[in-house]
Amino acid sequence: MANRILIVDDSFYMRTMLKNILSDAGHEIVGEAATGQQAIQLARDTRPDLVTLDVILPDNTGLDVLKAIRAEQPDLKIVMVSAVGQDVIVNEALAAGAGAYLVKPFSEERVLDIVKQLLS
Amino acid sequence: MADREQEYRELFAAEALETIEMMGRHLGVLERAPLDEPAIADSFRLLHNLKASAAATGFQAIADLAHALETLFGRLRVREIAFTGKVVGLFYEGLDALDELSRFAMAPQAGPAPDLTSLLGRLDAVTPADSLVTGASAGELVVATLPEFGVVPELVAPAGAPRMELSDLVSIPVRKLNTLLTQASELTLYRDRLRTLARELDLPVLTQLSDQFSRLAEDIQYAVMDARLVTVGSLFNKFPRVVRDVATAESKRVDLLLSGQDIQIDRNVLQIVTDGLLHLLRNAITHGIERPAERLAAGKPETGILLLDAQTDRDRVILTLTDDGRGIDRAAVVRKARLQGLLPADYPDPVVNTAETSTDASADATDADGDDVLHLIFEPGFSTASTITAYAGRGVGLDVVKLAVDTLGGRLQLTTEPGRGTTFTLVLPSSIAVKPALLVEDEDSFYAIGLTYTENVVSLAATDLFAAGPVLMAALPGTEEAVPVVALRHLLEGTPGLQRLLDRAALGPGPYPVVIVRHNNRRLGLLVGRFIGQQDIVVKPVAKPLDQIDLFNGLTTLGNGRVCVVLDVPALTAPFTGGRDARQFGKMVVGARAVPAALVPR
Repeated sequence: MANRILIVDDSFYMRTMLKNILSDAGHEIVGEAATGQQAIQLARDTRPDLVTLDVILPDNTGLDVLKAIRAEQPDLKIVMVSAVGQDVIVNEALAAGAGAYLVKPFSEERVLDIVKQLLS
Repeated sequence: MADREQEYRELFAAEALETIEMMGRHLGVLERAPLDEPAIADSFRLLHNLKASAAATGFQAIADLAHALETLFGRLRVREIAFTGKVVGLFYEGLDALDELSRFAMAPQAGPAPDLTSLLGRLDAVTPADSLVTGASAGELVVATLPEFGVVPELVAPAGAPRMELSDLVSIPVRKLNTLLTQASELTLYRDRLRTLARELDLPVLTQLSDQFSRLAEDIQYAVMDARLVTVGSLFNKFPRVVRDVATAESKRVDLLLSGQDIQIDRNVLQIVTDGLLHLLRNAITHGIERPAERLAAGKPETGILLLDAQTDRDRVILTLTDDGRGIDRAAVVRKARLQGLLPADYPDPVVNTAETSTDASADATDADGDDVLHLIFEPGFSTASTITAYAGRGVGLDVVKLAVDTLGGRLQLTTEPGRGTTFTLVLPSSIAVKPALLVEDEDSFYAIGLTYTENVVSLAATDLFAAGPVLMAALPGTEEAVPVVALRHLLEGTPGLQRLLDRAALGPGPYPVVIVRHNNRRLGLLVGRFIGQQDIVVKPVAKPLDQIDLFNGLTTLGNGRVCVVLDVPALTAPFTGGRDARQFGKMVVGARAVPAALVPR
């Protein structure tokens, strides 16, 4: 089942990787954002089913972006993406309404599993 | 899948290069400002990304090192350690290792990969004590950390040989810096071409490379611009002597107060305004500050005060010169201006008014209301002094100041209060190398107009245009205002007089793209062929014989490789701002038209 997904990560590498994994599995990538501001705007404009959200962004923390997006779209599913060592933020994010988190580097299966779980 | 892996490796290589480059910059910032939070936060973010990408691509050693460095940046962020002492050397060592590992990963050579064990151990073992500066004072901070970089053995003098201390400073002729700056600035032109290409080809790797190149080009340009910065103090500090000499000769008592000497400004900008500033200073003493007896009679201290101040506001430097003298007599300005024909003979005396008056010096005196005549003191040859003294008023007028400020695309303002004093404000660009411009095309030639002069771009219908006396005017859509409009091609055609410019029939059918330019508070609509967009340009001086043409400020090369004429807005608008110069207009533009076409390589 194709879902509409917004990818938020300041690393071009990570965006490309996520895009490849998700679109190969048949999902539709409705947008890519590299900053918090772009993310909030794109979430508003594209109304995705799910957002993958990096915890560290150049202009905001992923946590701020998470709260901003959820304030506008409480039902939107959000997957926090972080490298190891950011457990504190991850826990806060889950408390603030993130549906799941992915630790980089992630496997293709793990990404697709999480998306499937959240959107089923 | 092999394609994917190749793609990831290339993306990783680009990210690693970018991270290393940015990290180098951040470490440089931190050496000067160890607590700089943006540098720490961004380093943390970059390393965090690199760690993830490296792990995903299978470069575990890089991921480990990035992780160790990220951890240290985390400790910097919470101020557990500081970017001082031994810590500085360790960060640089870490960065060097990151660089080495990345290169090795991209192009594995024979032999084992660099071993990180020792470095990782030392990075992990950093304690707050490592931030302590060894040596006597903070001034030795850099010296204390230098050995950490590892000195190239061949360069170390043999033991026992007398040590030769060379200065950390070299002096460079400004000419060389100028050349370097022009060349560095041209990099930005290639940057634009590369960007265009990357967009057209739509290759991620090329896009990344183009982004990196852009940043580097900008960095180089700023670095060279930075090298040409001097403090305004280097000029200000010459003034006390001048003030003392002039005051003595004028039998006046003056204290000169200086502030903001640390403000930095492009050396060439400072050079251009030097004469003007000197003139303002002399003028303030000669005409502004009263003699001691007169001051006492007016209830002021015997000693007058001159305050010269510099401030920065983003990319501008604002110089103000304030005196507590007698102020400028508006009535005297009007009388003098009438005598010199700068105002009509029947121009009324200004209403005597002790309230503060202020004028943008670029306001035009022949404004219908005649509200502000003060700026007339900037007209060539104008002087209100009743006696000519040795130091001011000998025909060299304040027009020198105005000319200098205009040349730089700056602004000159003037505030005066009778009996209380006068303030001159010079708003200057802190640098003149690159400036933003609006590009337009007209009859197959490209023209650039400095954004400091452009107020708006509009598309006008034929019905928006109407003749008002000898001038073609345009009503600006959505406003009550009207501005004179002229076709750029007619301006450049060498038309002998204004009439031709008003020929609506020659314009063709609308709608017309019009750039509204502003100078001296007067606006003029330039009708052009089409708008191209906004771009940073490097203005190069025009070579002979083109330098004879007033309408050209210089040339620039565009991203597409074509040469483009930079228009001189003050010269273009001169015939339309007051009418005094209109009779000279035909003469001025004759022959101008033929040039741009000949210049532009097809």
